[in-house]
Amino acid sequence: MKALRSNKPRENLTGWAFIAPLGILFILFMLVPILWGIYLSFTNQSLTGAGGDLIGFDNYAEALADPDMWRSMLNTVWFTVLSTIPLVVVALALALLVNTGLPGQWLWRLSFFMPYLLASTVVSLIWVWLYNPQLGLFNAILGWFGIDPVTWLQDPDLAMLSVVVTTVWWTIGFNFLLYLAALQNIPETQYEAASIDGAGRWRTLASITIPQLGPTTIMVVVLQLLASLKVFDQIYQMTGGGPAGTTRSAIQYIFETGFTGFRFGYSSAISYIFFVLIIIVSVIQFRITARRSA
Amino acid sequence: MTRSRQAGDGPGLSRRRMLTGAAVLLGGAFAAPALSGCTQAAASGVTNLSYWHLLSGGDGITMAKLVADVEKALGDVTVDQTVLAWGAPYYTKLAMAAAGGRAPDIAIMHASRVTGWAPGGLLDPWDLDLLAEFGVSEDTFKPRIWEKGFTDDKLYSVALDSHPFITFFNTDVADEAGVLNSDGTLIETSTPDAFIEMALEMQAVTGQHGLSWGYLNDGAQLWRLFYTLYKQHGADMVLETGKPAEFDEDAAIESLEFMTKLVDGTVAATNSDINNGIAEFAGGKSGMLFSGVWELRTLQDAGIAFDATTIPTLYGTPAVYADSHTFVLPHQSNPDETKRRAAYEFMSTLLKDSIEWAGAGHIPAYLPVIDDPAYGDLVPQAHYADAADLINYDPPAWFTGSGSNFQNYFLDAIQGVMLGGTTPEAGFASFIGRINTLLSKPNPVTV
Repeated sequence: MKALRSNKPRENLTGWAFIAPLGILFILFMLVPILWGIYLSFTNQSLTGAGGDLIGFDNYAEALADPDMWRSMLNTVWFTVLSTIPLVVVALALALLVNTGLPGQWLWRLSFFMPYLLASTVVSLIWVWLYNPQLGLFNAILGWFGIDPVTWLQDPDLAMLSVVVTTVWWTIGFNFLLYLAALQNIPETQYEAASIDGAGRWRTLASITIPQLGPTTIMVVVLQLLASLKVFDQIYQMTGGGPAGTTRSAIQYIFETGFTGFRFGYSSAISYIFFVLIIIVSVIQFRITARRSA
Repeated sequence: MTRSRQAGDGPGLSRRRMLTGAAVLLGGAFAAPALSGCTQAAASGVTNLSYWHLLSGGDGITMAKLVADVEKALGDVTVDQTVLAWGAPYYTKLAMAAAGGRAPDIAIMHASRVTGWAPGGLLDPWDLDLLAEFGVSEDTFKPRIWEKGFTDDKLYSVALDSHPFITFFNTDVADEAGVLNSDGTLIETSTPDAFIEMALEMQAVTGQHGLSWGYLNDGAQLWRLFYTLYKQHGADMVLETGKPAEFDEDAAIESLEFMTKLVDGTVAATNSDINNGIAEFAGGKSGMLFSGVWELRTLQDAGIAFDATTIPTLYGTPAVYADSHTFVLPHQSNPDETKRRAAYEFMSTLLKDSIEWAGAGHIPAYLPVIDDPAYGDLVPQAHYADAADLINYDPPAWFTGSGSNFQNYFLDAIQGVMLGGTTPEAGFASFIGRINTLLSKPNPVTV
């Protein structure tokens, strides 16, 4: 006890030295921008350096009455709903299929995971071509069956769905790998015991595999929700937010008002409204999963 | 202990630099003049200029060659080019650099964007006397192009070119369709119906389309054709902060209706983006292409027989949409006089050398170049040089211009009209609604 206390100042110092790099980076790149952003959201700061006067809650009042802002938020939530479900369910299905011991395991894993390694620009370029109304592969296939060309990315009813399909193809590999790893961690003895008790394939899946994957599912859903809410790249590159704003995401609207529309203060206010939205989603998510794991 | 102090010092130093970097990112909330170190090798008498532009592809190669030629001609000026992607990436970075006071010595901007920037202090004006010393003055430019450089009686931009939206036509197809005059020019069409008739004659030859025009997901392409037709009505569009937009609704609706008639699937494809449009025309599957002069090199490489002309006047008033690449002096807190002078010298030499630039399709803005017989020999460039008298830039406002949100808003509202889901009236009303919202806010460039 005494020996410990005499070492304390030195240990403290070493401790601080160890956390200093991360601490400083955190302060510089997280805390300062967050506080600075909150401050900006109460000003009419322009990207051009003009403005900067405190204007109270004007930006927030304007944002809450801005239909384009609400639309971008709703688009983001809609994208999140549309993408999260297949990115969890299909990833699980693929992992289950591959885990049944299909021959050529490496090929399956590689082909499901490979798209994830591509940059968003590459993915967008490939899919914009696939979706091209005149020269695209999908319309060529439809053409074989005598179906008229479809404007995948220009039809307000289809554009978001088309982007979701691209996103699922692109990012499913990550969730797939998480599930595959989790599946391989389920003790074989449980399956042996189940088979001795006479459990069928579905019974085993429902009573052993799915419950054992519980923690992984919670993690996958949390990561997926946060990733989907932050969507920007592929939408910006594939549709630019169109047609008629039906795919414009919250991040894109923040970018447009702040960087190309010069209104930094207003854009900051929207960021913080979006931040609150994410917090609400996270809290709901936390409540649900906490109840389930309790 | 020593270790911990070192650990503290390192990040301390970089923190200061990071803060300065962050300040530039944050739109120059703090000025950072201390960092604008003088990099020129004064002792050797060589001035090094930093030059930003957004010219990539064929234009980028041409510009790189021009810069090399100018460097060779001047001897004592070297130029570091920074090329950024067209549109938002370029303009946001240039705005931030200028707002931070550490901008490049000289840069290219679209003339239509200068209007929004000049009053905000992002640009420094050109000195007319010094320009004249280098042979650049009012009488060396067409009035429309020279005047566009002025804001509040100060010259903020000097044009390198004008690049209008024009008609390319396949001479083989046009000849077979019987729509050529004896001198090889396209027959004159002065009404929308006559134009469609001519396009259909060409369609009969190609079996696919008479006209190629790509607009899908491309607000710029949509706007260029719309504004050409709209201005041919003799109509104006006035966008003044604090007031609703002034416009001629009948002219707008009539223009949009004509555009939808074009994309009926026969005259032109219904679902075509600019790449489809160029590919179609370059493949000989249509008789005409509506696009910008900058497409010239691509079409020359395609190996088809073609010529070019201005967009026919269908509504009485000759007019075409265009923009200009212009030279600007982004705002510097502490401009270096030697560099400023070198920037004038660089710019004026490049202008005088801009016959090379005409090779890429653009119409040179510097009149002595156009008047030179060498330009007259450039075909088809010389065939649309008259467009420089008819050009119309975007209606001036802080949010308009090439690669701006304005064109995206137009796309948002009008693409549905082209695809048949929305009426021209509803589409245009939605566009104006969006513009009026912007006009009702204070101008963020000057707040």
